[in-house]
Amino acid sequence: MAEENTQIQTETKENAARQFEIAVLPLQNTTMFPDTVVPLSVGRSRSVKAVEAALSTEEKLIACVTIKTSEVNGSDAKPVDLYEVGTIVNIKRMMRNDDVMQLIVQGVNRVKILYWSQEEPFLKAKVEILPELKVIDKEEVEALKRNIHGMIQEALTMLPQVPPEVRMTVMSQNDPVQLSYFLASVLELGIETEQKMIEANTADELLTLTHAALARELDIMQIRSKIATEAQGEMDKAQRDYILRQQLKAIQKELGEDEGGEKAEAEQLRERLETADLPDDVRKESERELRRMEQLPQAAPDYHVIRTYLEYVLELPWKKSSEEKLDLNEAKKILDEDHYGLEDIKERILESLAVIKLRPDSKSPIILFVGPPGVGKTSLGRSIARALGREFDRISLGGVRDESELRGHRRTYVGSMPGRIIQTLRRVGVNNPVLMLDEIDKMGNDYRGDPAAALLEILDPAQNNTFRDHYLDLPFDLSKVFFIATANQLQPIAHPLRDRMEIISLAGYSDQEKLNIARQYLIPRQITENGLSDDQIEIADDAINLLTARYTREAGVRQLERTVGTLARKVALRVAQGNAEKVTITAKDIKPFLGAARFYPEEARTDLPAGVATGMAWTEMGGEVLFIEATMLPGGGGLTLTGQLGEVMKESAQAARSYLWSHASEFGISPEAIKENGIHVHVPAGAIPKDGPSAGVTMASAMASLYTGRKVRSDTAMTGEITLSGLVFPVGGVKEKILAAHRAGIRRIILPERNEADTEEIPEDVRKELEIIPAKYISDVLSAALETEQSVPKGENYVIPDAKSSDGRGEPLIAREIGE
Amino acid sequence: MAKSINRYFHFLASSKNAKPSGRLWFPAADVYQTPSGWLVKVELAGVSAEDIEIDIQGNQLYLVGCRRDKVCAVGFSYQQMEITYSRFEKTLSFPATIDGASIEHNFDNGLLIIHLRKAEKTKP
Repeated sequence: MAEENTQIQTETKENAARQFEIAVLPLQNTTMFPDTVVPLSVGRSRSVKAVEAALSTEEKLIACVTIKTSEVNGSDAKPVDLYEVGTIVNIKRMMRNDDVMQLIVQGVNRVKILYWSQEEPFLKAKVEILPELKVIDKEEVEALKRNIHGMIQEALTMLPQVPPEVRMTVMSQNDPVQLSYFLASVLELGIETEQKMIEANTADELLTLTHAALARELDIMQIRSKIATEAQGEMDKAQRDYILRQQLKAIQKELGEDEGGEKAEAEQLRERLETADLPDDVRKESERELRRMEQLPQAAPDYHVIRTYLEYVLELPWKKSSEEKLDLNEAKKILDEDHYGLEDIKERILESLAVIKLRPDSKSPIILFVGPPGVGKTSLGRSIARALGREFDRISLGGVRDESELRGHRRTYVGSMPGRIIQTLRRVGVNNPVLMLDEIDKMGNDYRGDPAAALLEILDPAQNNTFRDHYLDLPFDLSKVFFIATANQLQPIAHPLRDRMEIISLAGYSDQEKLNIARQYLIPRQITENGLSDDQIEIADDAINLLTARYTREAGVRQLERTVGTLARKVALRVAQGNAEKVTITAKDIKPFLGAARFYPEEARTDLPAGVATGMAWTEMGGEVLFIEATMLPGGGGLTLTGQLGEVMKESAQAARSYLWSHASEFGISPEAIKENGIHVHVPAGAIPKDGPSAGVTMASAMASLYTGRKVRSDTAMTGEITLSGLVFPVGGVKEKILAAHRAGIRRIILPERNEADTEEIPEDVRKELEIIPAKYISDVLSAALETEQSVPKGENYVIPDAKSSDGRGEPLIAREIGE
Repeated sequence: MAKSINRYFHFLASSKNAKPSGRLWFPAADVYQTPSGWLVKVELAGVSAEDIEIDIQGNQLYLVGCRRDKVCAVGFSYQQMEITYSRFEKTLSFPATIDGASIEHNFDNGLLIIHLRKAEKTKP
């Protein structure tokens, strides 16, 4: 302490002139450096007082000291808020502007505050002038100075707006300390760095700080200039593209190619738009799009999108219809020409056509043809179009599972297209074609959408006059389109969709019908197609019958036609080899031509054991007979069901058993026999899944036969749904079922009473051979089906006699495909 | 930044050769060559003669001093200040050495007039 005091005293003596009391101006966010000239604004009352005090001295000097934080302002700053090293400045100019003093000050010397002598009305302190900065390592200072000069030069290249004389002045400033102070005052380094620089006691320290600060500033400037250059570069590119495009246009013009350019293209479209016959709203929308297109450069992606769209709109038959030439007699002739039989279907078609003739502006009917493959659904549609004299096109919906297939994609998508409906209309070129929606039952649906839902709109006459395709986004009138849908089954078609269509079922053809079709259509067609003539080949009726029975199995005639085609080709080979003789094919020639028969005929089992009943099933291929076998499990319990039965069929078996159980006494069955014995029902063939309620009566008959010991009559087949109260409900596919039973040699058919009307569809030649027994109750069925005498003992000791059992197994239950 | 540099140099341009240590401003001076030597006229209004030091070394004339404001009395308050006070310095270079020249100076309407007469011995 004492030593320190002495030191201060000696210094005081030596530097008496260097220590004095002076007013202090606290500076916010800025630092004064010696030899720099800076303008200052002084507004706070305490600072104004300090400046006024300084001005009243002879030399106009004041000490500037920086406030440590920006949170304290000039009038509140306490000595502790201020740094201890500052700069004495000379006030060179002063001007009052209202309450604010505008000063221009020039830094003189660095000072250190020794102690504060006054706080109010302004700050005053005893200060000591700090000595000049010493250079410790001359080489280092020189090196730093040169580096700083280099960096300044670099910075100046990025500042083209700095005038050259200023550059000269900066670059010629050789005193490193002055240069550093100058840079510190000019660059915004932040008060902390600036304070470090003012406190630096050696030139080395100061220059190192300056160097670091300048390097950082330079980095920032470089990054900023890089960003600016990049932005500039992008603008330049756009400009360059534009100029090049303009030049290209000029070149094209010189070459005379501008006729194909955008202007001409838009012009062409406009011409077409003006001459086209369009509804008003379509015209308005198209003109709007065309205007948009004209404003786009040809290279814009939207340009082509709009062009394609406009071309599409212009090509659609908004108002173009094909002329009706509807003559009902002619129409009937055409239908008869194209199709054999189908009398009632033709009649219904003619009825629909008659309505169109009487009321041409009426909404076209929507017809759904349901039937097995190959019965002529598609060709009926074609015939209708021919009869009406309209265009015909078909859309296959099989496997379509996306709504946009029908309704198109929005134009915002790349590669978007209108849906199939609009595409087809463009193709046919008229707005009243016959449009066939093939395989409407084979549509799928998934998360991408349900095409059936889109069809609901398309097929609703009440709303399809404003059908909006997503792509077009314009209402198109579909009400003049004659829609014909086809399906193999009704069941997969959604109910609301079914509801919108007039359903016409096409059942399979009988053997007699097939013979007639073959004679009248298939054979002549195949003869022509295979390059033969009538005097080269003849196919006899018995040969055709053999083909339908043993070589094909179908409800329609497709396979039959193919087989006839095979025969025709074999003959064509002979003819081509030079054999000019006429070939007549009879039944016995078939085997050499086609090989062994591919199907066994369906045959009824002649001697059924008790517990087996003959049923009838409907398949997509037509009808089939099937056998239901029931056997008792002595001492077992419950009901076992096998043969790939669906839920509905299982339930119908349970209903049959329960009915018998509850009415056991009526049928002469002891309830104990049912209670104490289990029963197993099997429906061959075991590998084919079966479902549906229509085997109810058959199962009931089989079980009743088992419990009573009375056999089911083997010449009898039956179908019908049963209820627990003993009613027999109607079923579908009666025609196919009866035809199949007839083919199998069965002559008695038990049918639900309410299905009796369906028998009228059966060709006369078949019906007259059949005895058809209508049934209202299960009891009707059982009394008609079961033999009167009991052939085997009933009850729990029942066993199937060996002979009968092996007999039963010896013959095929159901005709089955062999070979391929 | 460029702007602040410009602003700075507006003031700095005149103090290009200045050294630190508080030699603040530079009075304007005219130099005449006369038959007997040199006449130097310096704009130093308001500076007392006792506050001026004149020195000669080789071919250079140093002029150092301080302008003090003696008008500002207690109770006065500045409204505007455009005259620079405090210390000044001026260095004038001559084509030939002026060592040994005799110096006479006097104030004339705020101008300091310095007569430099060549030393007798330097005369040929």
